[in-house]
Parts: sequence; C-alpha cells; structure tokens
Amino acid sequence: MWTEKYRPRSLDEMVDQEEIVNRLKSFVKARNVPHCIFAGPPGTGKTTAALCLAHDLYGPGYQEHLMELNASDERGINVVRETVKTFARTRSIGDVPFKILILDEADNMTSDAQQALRRTMERYTETARFILIANYSGRIIEPIQSRCAPFRFTYLPEEHIRKRIEYIAENEGVVLLEDGLKAIIELGGGDLRRTINILQTAASTGKPVDAETVYSVVGKANPKDVREMMITALNGDFINARNKLRELLLKYGLAGSDILGQIHSEVFRLNIPERWKVKIIEIIGETDYRLLQGSNEEIQLSALLAKFVEAGEEIRKGG
Amino acid sequence: MHLPWTLKYKPKTLSEVIGNEKAKEKILQWIKEWSRGVPEKRALLIYGPPGVGKTVAVEALANDLNMELVQSNASDYRTAEAIQRFAGRSSQYGTLFGRKRLILFDEIDGITGSADRGGLREITKVIRRARTPIILIANDPYDPRFSTLRKFCELVEFKKPTMTQIIKLLTRICSLEGIRAERDALKVIAERAEGDVRSAINDLQALAQGKDKLTFEDVAWLGRRDRKEVIFNVLRRILYSRSLTGALRAANEADVDPDMLLEWIYENIPYHVKNPKELAAVMEMLALADVYRGRATASQDWSLMRYYIDFMTAGVSASWSKKSPGWTPFKFPSRIMTMSKSKEEREMLREIGLRIGRRCHISADKAAKDVIPFLKVIFQNNPEMKDGLARWFGLNEDMVKFLSGEK
Repeated sequence: MWTEKYRPRSLDEMVDQEEIVNRLKSFVKARNVPHCIFAGPPGTGKTTAALCLAHDLYGPGYQEHLMELNASDERGINVVRETVKTFARTRSIGDVPFKILILDEADNMTSDAQQALRRTMERYTETARFILIANYSGRIIEPIQSRCAPFRFTYLPEEHIRKRIEYIAENEGVVLLEDGLKAIIELGGGDLRRTINILQTAASTGKPVDAETVYSVVGKANPKDVREMMITALNGDFINARNKLRELLLKYGLAGSDILGQIHSEVFRLNIPERWKVKIIEIIGETDYRLLQGSNEEIQLSALLAKFVEAGEEIRKGG
Repeated sequence: MHLPWTLKYKPKTLSEVIGNEKAKEKILQWIKEWSRGVPEKRALLIYGPPGVGKTVAVEALANDLNMELVQSNASDYRTAEAIQRFAGRSSQYGTLFGRKRLILFDEIDGITGSADRGGLREITKVIRRARTPIILIANDPYDPRFSTLRKFCELVEFKKPTMTQIIKLLTRICSLEGIRAERDALKVIAERAEGDVRSAINDLQALAQGKDKLTFEDVAWLGRRDRKEVIFNVLRRILYSRSLTGALRAANEADVDPDMLLEWIYENIPYHVKNPKELAAVMEMLALADVYRGRATASQDWSLMRYYIDFMTAGVSASWSKKSPGWTPFKFPSRIMTMSKSKEEREMLREIGLRIGRRCHISADKAAKDVIPFLKVIFQNNPEMKDGLARWFGLNEDMVKFLSGEK
C-alpha cells in the first residue's frame, strides 16, 4: 500500500507540522517524552509523527518498545488495562527507561473508560508513556488533558500535498496529468492518506491518470448511494429510500454518523428551495444529537428520511 | 395483488385438505347417507383447534359435490330470529334448480351470553327439522352450553396435522411460488405453528413472498420470538385503534417484548401510512420512542420506559388518519433478517479490516470504511497489484475473492 510505502520513517523525513516535529525532536534529544495528545483531522500525520518519534528514540528495533492499540478495536478498557499491564511491566533496555503506547481513536472511548485509562496512565508513568490520538481533543476528559502535552495537527497546505503526490507518482511510474492531480487533491479533501489511496486506485487502472479516471474510481469506491437515497425519499418513495439506508448501514458497514455527515454535505447541493435546506439542516442536527446520545441509527435515520418525503411533497405542492 | 396465500392455496377438493384422513372419510360417509334419505343425525359437529382446516374442509366438500354452501358465522346468528332468517327456510328445501344445499354454522363457540341461549336453542330446533345437511364447527364441543345440541349431532374431530404434513404443504407452496426453500427453514416455520396450518402459511408468506430463496438463516431468529398471531393482532390494534388508550392497552395486554414490537411497527408502518405528512409524524413518534429507550438504558432509570411504550403505541396511533390502503399483509421485521444475513459479510469486512489495520496503523472500522472501498476497485482493476497487496496484508483466498467481487 503506497500510504505505508511512503510513510516517513523518521522525524527528519517529515516535512509538515513543522512546529510539532521540532518539539518532538527536542524530546528525542532529551531522551524523555511526556504523555501526549495528538489531535487533528484525519490524514494529517498524527500516527506518522508518533511512529517517527518512537523510531528516532529507540532506533531500528523500535517496535519492541512500542505498542499500538486502537480504542475502537479493543473491547473496552479492560483489554487496554491488561495489555498495558503486561507491556509496561518490564523496563526498556537502553538509555530510555520507558516504552511508548499509542492509543488511536482515543476520543471514541466513553468517559468511564477514559477515567479508567487515566488511572492506568498514572500507575505506569515510570515505565510507559502514552500518546493518545484523537480527531477532537475536546472529547478527551479534562483530567487526561491536563496530564498530557497537547499537539494540534492542522490540515496540510495544498502545496505540500501536491508535491507529495507528484513525488509518489513519479517514483511509481504513474503518468499523472494536471487535471488528474487537481481532481485527486480535491477529492482527497486535505486527508493525505485518502489522497494517496485515490492516487493508487486511479493508477491501478494502468491508464494515464486524468480527472475522468479519478472521478470514476472514486465513484466506484464511494457509491453515490447517500445522494440517491435522499432523492428517492424526496420523490416520495420512502420504502425504497429505507432499503437504500439499510444497504448503506449493513452492506457497506457505514456508521450512522458518517451517513449523516454525507447527508449534511449533500443538502446544500440539492435542487430544492433554499429555506427548505435550512429546515432540513435543523432536523439533521437533531438527529445527529440523538445518535450521539446512543439512539438507534436506522430508526433515527429513517425518521429523517420520512421528513425528506414530507419535504418533497410540500415542495411539489409549491410550499 | 396481495392475495393471502391461505386463500390462494385453499384446497379445492376434500382430498387436498392436509391430514385428518379419518375425519374426512367420516364426513363423506355422513354426506352420502343423505342421498338415501334423512339420516339419524341430521347435523355434523366438526371440532378441533384453530387453523387445522375445519372450515376449509367443508368448503372443499361443497365444491366436490357441487352443493350450494349456505354459510355464516357466529356474529350473524346471535338471536333466534336471525337464525330463522338464515337457516330456517334453506334447511327445508333444495335450490330452485335442484342443486343441493349444505348449511354451515361456523364458529359456534362465538355464541355467548344470555341473548344467545335462544340462538343455540334455535339451532337445535333447525337441526331437528332439517331436510338438508347441516354442519357446525366449534373449537370445544364439550362446552356445557352445547350439551343439548350435541345429542343431535354426529361428532367429527379434526386433529393437528403432523410436522411432516405441514412441511410437505409448505414445500408445495414454495415450488408453486418459485421459491427455493431449505427444508430446515420450513421446519422452523412448521415447528412454530404448532399444528396451526393457517398460521404456518401466513408465516411463510410474510417471510418468503417476493424472494427466490428462503434459508435457515432467514427464519432462525423466529424460534425465540412471540407467536405471530399475537403480534399481528397487536399490530392491527395499535395501527388502527380508534382511541389512544386502545392502542396502549393492545401493547400492555399482549405481553410482547417491546423491542420486538418496535421492530414490527417500524417495519410495517410505511406500508400502511401513505400520506407523507402522516408518515413523517408517525416515524418521528417511533424515533422519539427510541430516544426514550436510549435514555432509559443510559440512566438505568427504567421508569422512563413508559414513554418508550407511549410513543410507539399511542403516539403512532394518534399521528395518522388510519385510512387503510386495503388488505396489506404484515411483514416480518426485515431489519432483523438482513442483520443475520449480512452478519457473515460484516464479519468478513471486519476480518479484512483488522489485517489492513495492522499494516496501516488504523482501526478495523476505519479500514473497512476508508481503505476497503479503494482496495475493491484496485483488486478488480489490476491483478498484479492485487497479488502484491494480498500477500502484503496476509489475506486468505476467501478474503481475496470477497474483495474481487467473486463472492
């Protein structure tokens, strides 16, 4: 996978997030790392920075001193606690007396789990340092935040993404046309991992990569089902709209919040009266909040689709 | 369009009625006696549990012998007067053109209360003077109310058909509908029906109509669930109840698992509520019910569950005008069916996701969402990249087939 092949191995190779990289380098120099929170949008280098830090700190055999956990893969805090216990029990050999534990998607943990995590962090501070990775640091509880050095990752400048993509394309012998490059950057949405995945997928066609190829492979990978589902509902066919929703949830395994996010971004592009867009946004917001509270995804989204059906009818009546 | 299968596949001749060979023979013997004059017992009392084919057998018999069936059920003959109107004259004569008559009193268990005493007495009177064959149908013939009546009747018992017989019938229906059904699936349906053929056919229709195959997985979840007539009944009462308390009572009295009930209502609503405004209102009620379920679970304060029930019953009932779109069969909650069916697929996604995650430092969920869609395209485009990536991620053959869309 090109995302891995071209992932920087050391902090020196990282060209972005300059300030952050510099601070991390100073940790390496001091042979000491505090607990950290890396927060920021996807594909901006959080995991890469953590891996590079470990690499620079421990050298080539860094994997032995590093453990990666993912809050959404590991079932509950107990798994984290048990794993940490075994991992942190032994000291690292060498001049760095602690190991590094990367906990990805930490903002997906419930606050109870985070409380337990806080205790674990405290207990093993001597032998293990935690790097918590999150999209939103606001979802990490205060007591953990206050024990961690915060790092805010920002979107990469378009220029850097462009250079990176051009570099990879050249190295892989991909014929990349200018409009293709633009399309890749646009559809990547500032997320470098996604951007590289789009490049590799477009390149897999074996043809020169132009805008058309890019749109076609992304279209295949990300079905326009969400838009179709909305339009089906607006046209008054609730039953089929609901079937499409079921397909997205079950067949494509999308999370309700992702579908809602896509609905939200599509609303403004819909061909309906402006004031209806705002009305619909209000309902989407309410639905989003309900999902956060733990309501059932399908039932809530279906209720939203029924509102679309109603809106469609009103619009046709000229309302 | 939506013909109930119980009607579509109703037996046309007595021999098609499943099981109960002895009973059918006894009926035939008795009816033959009429051709030699009025027999000793002028009426036949057929009894047995619901859904085993009693009424259907009588209808098939009339059809076989080309007799005119004069048919009515309990609500039509509550009083002596009504019974005279219904059966008095027709029990005396054949039809104008010589076609013989067969009189059927269905559901006589339904005759209750003091006003109906006269009704039962009147039926007895009609039987004693009858010049045409009369058949009565009851669930429990030994009810003391029938003691006089019984003396004038020949008793014929209908028993529950065996599982094998029911499975055979379901198999026949499936093949006529062009549905490939696994025997195990039909077995689950037959088992649940507990000898009630009508309910077995209704179940089969609800589960299989419009599909080309029915697997064990499609029906496996049924086993633990509440009996369907109960649910159908409750659903009808909730959706079409004229008062809020009626809707609420329907749910409370039924002793049906509320989560299951919500699934049933949620599945069926769009087939009944057609007006967009009302549909939105009804769906919002279900969504609110769901919100309260969530609140009750999160706070562990189960007293909040009452709002869950209120919204899904009274809330739903109050939010629409109850104009029925015509006979609409109730459907099984397909959310539960598809969930069990796509379980395999989701497990596959997760397995692949985990392997990708290990390599790409992301969670299985994220891999499934962000990487697998691209991998699928790559696998279909480029065999060389496919082989390389499959090796690098450590994917097995099934996984590769899945991603290549061969499975």
